[in-house]
Amino acid sequence: MISSLSFINQKGEILIYRVYKDDISRNEITQFCAKMIATKENKEFPIINIDQTSFIHISIKDIIILATTKTDVNVAMVLEFLYQLSKICKSYFQGNLDENCIKKSFVLIYEILDEVLDYGIPQIADPNLLQKFIQEGGVQQETTINIEKLRQLTFTLTGVVSWRPIGLYYEKNELYLDIIESVNLLISAKDTVLRAEVVGSIELKSKLTGMPECQIGMNDKLLMGKQQKQTKQTIGISIDDMKFHPCVRLPKFDKDRTITFIPPDGHCQLISYRISENINIPFKVNVFYSEIIDNKLEIRLKIKSIYDNNIYGTNVLVKVPVPKNTVNAITATALGKARYEVEEQSVIWRIKKFQGDFETSLRCEINLGTTNKDQVWSKPPLKMEFQIPMFTASGLRVRFLKVMEKAGYKTNKWIRYLTKGGEYLHRL
Amino acid sequence: MAYFGNNPQRGELQELYADLNDLNFEKKKEAVKKVIAYMTVGKDVSDLFQSVIKCLEFNDIEMKKLIYLYIVNYSRQKPDDAIMVIQNFRKDVRKSENPLVRALAIRTFGCLRVPKLNEYLIEPLKDCIQDDDPYVRKTAVLCVPKVYEVSPEICPPLLELLQKLLEKESNALVLANLIQSMREIEVVSGKQIIILNQKIIQKLLLAVDECIEWGQIFILDYLATYNPQDSKQAEIIIERTLPRLSHINPTVTFCAVKVILKYLDFLDNGDLVKNLCKKVAPSLISLLSWNQPEVQYTILRNISLILQKFPILFENDVKVFFCSFNEPYYIKYEKLDIMVRICDSKNFGQVLNELLIYLNEADPHFVRKTIKSIGKIAITYDKALDKAVSILVEFAKNIQQPTEPVQELLIQMQLIYKKNKQMYKHEESLKIIYSIIDYANEPESKSACAWIVGEFGEFIPKSVEKMKEYIDNFQMEDRLVQLQLLTSAVQLYLKYPSQCSILIQQLITSAKDSFNPDVRDRTYIYWRLLSTDPEIVKNLVCFNSGTFSNFSKDLRLWETQDLVLALENMGNISNLFHKLPHQLYKNIKIKVNNQQEVKIYKGDEKPESQVKEQQDENQQNIQKEQQQQQDIDLLNFDDPPVNNNNNNNKSNKTDVFELI
Repeated sequence: MISSLSFINQKGEILIYRVYKDDISRNEITQFCAKMIATKENKEFPIINIDQTSFIHISIKDIIILATTKTDVNVAMVLEFLYQLSKICKSYFQGNLDENCIKKSFVLIYEILDEVLDYGIPQIADPNLLQKFIQEGGVQQETTINIEKLRQLTFTLTGVVSWRPIGLYYEKNELYLDIIESVNLLISAKDTVLRAEVVGSIELKSKLTGMPECQIGMNDKLLMGKQQKQTKQTIGISIDDMKFHPCVRLPKFDKDRTITFIPPDGHCQLISYRISENINIPFKVNVFYSEIIDNKLEIRLKIKSIYDNNIYGTNVLVKVPVPKNTVNAITATALGKARYEVEEQSVIWRIKKFQGDFETSLRCEINLGTTNKDQVWSKPPLKMEFQIPMFTASGLRVRFLKVMEKAGYKTNKWIRYLTKGGEYLHRL
Repeated sequence: MAYFGNNPQRGELQELYADLNDLNFEKKKEAVKKVIAYMTVGKDVSDLFQSVIKCLEFNDIEMKKLIYLYIVNYSRQKPDDAIMVIQNFRKDVRKSENPLVRALAIRTFGCLRVPKLNEYLIEPLKDCIQDDDPYVRKTAVLCVPKVYEVSPEICPPLLELLQKLLEKESNALVLANLIQSMREIEVVSGKQIIILNQKIIQKLLLAVDECIEWGQIFILDYLATYNPQDSKQAEIIIERTLPRLSHINPTVTFCAVKVILKYLDFLDNGDLVKNLCKKVAPSLISLLSWNQPEVQYTILRNISLILQKFPILFENDVKVFFCSFNEPYYIKYEKLDIMVRICDSKNFGQVLNELLIYLNEADPHFVRKTIKSIGKIAITYDKALDKAVSILVEFAKNIQQPTEPVQELLIQMQLIYKKNKQMYKHEESLKIIYSIIDYANEPESKSACAWIVGEFGEFIPKSVEKMKEYIDNFQMEDRLVQLQLLTSAVQLYLKYPSQCSILIQQLITSAKDSFNPDVRDRTYIYWRLLSTDPEIVKNLVCFNSGTFSNFSKDLRLWETQDLVLALENMGNISNLFHKLPHQLYKNIKIKVNNQQEVKIYKGDEKPESQVKEQQDENQQNIQKEQQQQQDIDLLNFDDPPVNNNNNNNKSNKTDVFELI
């Protein structure tokens, strides 16, 4: 499988280098690093094969994590593993992974590398679990002495519910659910919808005692059709595809579409889903570019929000692309602020609060410089960003969330909905 | 503590040596850390071996881990010193109550890779394989391939133990690692180690539900290489694999897709096949929009294979492959490639409309590839010709510089004219193309221009002057351009004999002494022919349009008989490079596909065999004119056309000789 792992900085220096198999030399890595540095653009493909050696890498900010192998391994697995490794490292460094952290805690990283791969074969890569037996400094001494605890640990590690330790206790049992949807929209210049898609995730944060059995139900059309007790107000939606956290019992879902699980302690992404039918597009945009005279361009923009008027969109941002030779822009709008930002090559219109069922407009007059007129302007699409709390573009709702534990405690549950702009694009 | 110090000077090593032998524990630990730091930056600290391993006597697990790391790194340089550590390992394995320590010891022991030490390892390893603790068992199981790699001769008893464990193990994680480690041994030895029976398969399927994500991948990956005995078994395995389509780890999902697609071939029930396809497609589409571009890329690279064997999965779904503005270019390239492959006589309009947008992109390479794709679609589908030419002509109108896309545009227009000469009338394309002809600066595009001037001499104003311009620079041109110029000039001469006679003289004079035999030969042939019978030359050089047949066959990337094998390796490195494993790795044996017929899954019909159809097509092809074959090659997407052109010229030549 994986022959070696290295962490490389931007200058192509090896920060961490761990060999798992004998078939790779440090020299080969150094040569690869030189090559990486020579072609800095990320045009460089994630996988390169040089004389039967494959170099597979991902970049996390300035750090490149590189795996090498000489056998015909599953690339997707290696890449996914590298991503998880970066997550593990981040979990130790408070969400950061940079050269300083690595240099300072290289001993820790070696310990992690020792545990996550054995003979190049991926092993335990769950940050929460690893923290149980790889800890910084001297904290671990306490656990290593108690043999009984250790037994429990190894059984958890290798057991069926490997994501949750035994014997958790909380004074208050609490459960938070966040439903976050991002809308990917592509509208052609002729105003037809080329693609409308919602990619959503259900994030779970739990503080629960013991080993609770949970069940969550959404307004999933397929599930509700089965239950036959449909009332008018609960019309199901159709979900194209769902992907679950390992804690969800997949065979059960496959059999009758019920989602049951024992949650991991703390935060996790429970479900990610994709919906492409009946998307409620939150904003309708009309945009006109017209050249008044030679060096002047007029842009008129109209935005209408198409959600209920008792909810508000926040942090709405519209990026209106303008030509490269723009000198300045005069903007006029009734709502929010708009100005030309050179580094973005666009007029950025920011609206803090955007009520539902409301229409507003922007007018810009762009003064163009005379230089470089022959160069054709490759019009990038207009982009929108926004956040709408208490709204789901797909119409998804959580209908119930049950928690069952033999202690029979009461659980406080909170739920939040949010829709964000993903790749929300209008071609011009 | 300095991490990136300079070379450890003699003095520094001595200092470390002193610290390592210090009585103070903290000082020792710091020194060990320093040693590891030097090791990381690639400095040689092997001289400290003895002092470092002495520190093992402390029962500190962090230090133990560091020292083990050090030992693993240098054990082969100092095999004699490494022997001293063995007692430590054996003590840990036998005596320690801490399962983590036992596992750590056996893991490190396996990493020593010193043949003469391995015999000491066998006994403790046997113990660990039978340990009560699953964590230790799992670690021990992974130790076997390590030993096998270095000393296979002492391994038979271990392999026996593994097979026994395979039959009785109940822990899912151990089982998954067991399968993976036995597969590693299979790769090294080239022999089959895993012996399956019904019960074991049953157990593996159960384990998929219970173990961590990587374990699921190991098992699914393995199942993809297995051939079920009958339709019933295939059905059971598919049924147990289906739930994995909903796993959050994209690789688990992808492996599940692989297993299901592979086993479809073994199913008797056609309706079931259709249903399964409906379940697989949405999962696959989710993977295509995965938020890690690298993962997305690997999936995209495998799509051409799926497209070829399972066109049903992406019916009416060309939109999935539309490029997004902010995507990295390596993803855009893949999507573009797939869009051309997925394009057919129904959806070409949709695809062309999308490609039109990409012509505005900033990256010239990408625009170039887009133009190539448009040309490809135009030539493949007769109906698409008009629209494609309109798009290209519109693009040509805005050209003001000799950019890279312009070169491709000229090349593609030449091919389109070859396919259908009448296209020159469409939207005055010839006039517009002729207006940008001076922007050609690559051999291929220049030769395309020369061809256009020769072929359309009568429709172009001042074509003779243009040709003179070219011929004046004849010596400077690439061989490819020279060859085309010869043919085109002769063509033009036949159209305007009086105006061109001086020109042709000039050309022959400068070409007959060329160092390149191809150019020289062609010059002489034309010369002789022109002086004997110009009519023959006319038959020879004037191109008959409309001889192109349908190119759709070219869009297939894989040989049909390779599809089954390729599917087994979906997601692997070899597949990423569109090759079979043995084509990429020298040490892998060629696996023979013993399935007679390769099933292709199309939309409306039931799965049918295409092998026969394909054979017929092949036969027809052989019968077709050679010239045509050459032209098809010329259009091949990925091959550098220069070589193909060469062939083309050669074949022209042989024809000529026959004539003489």
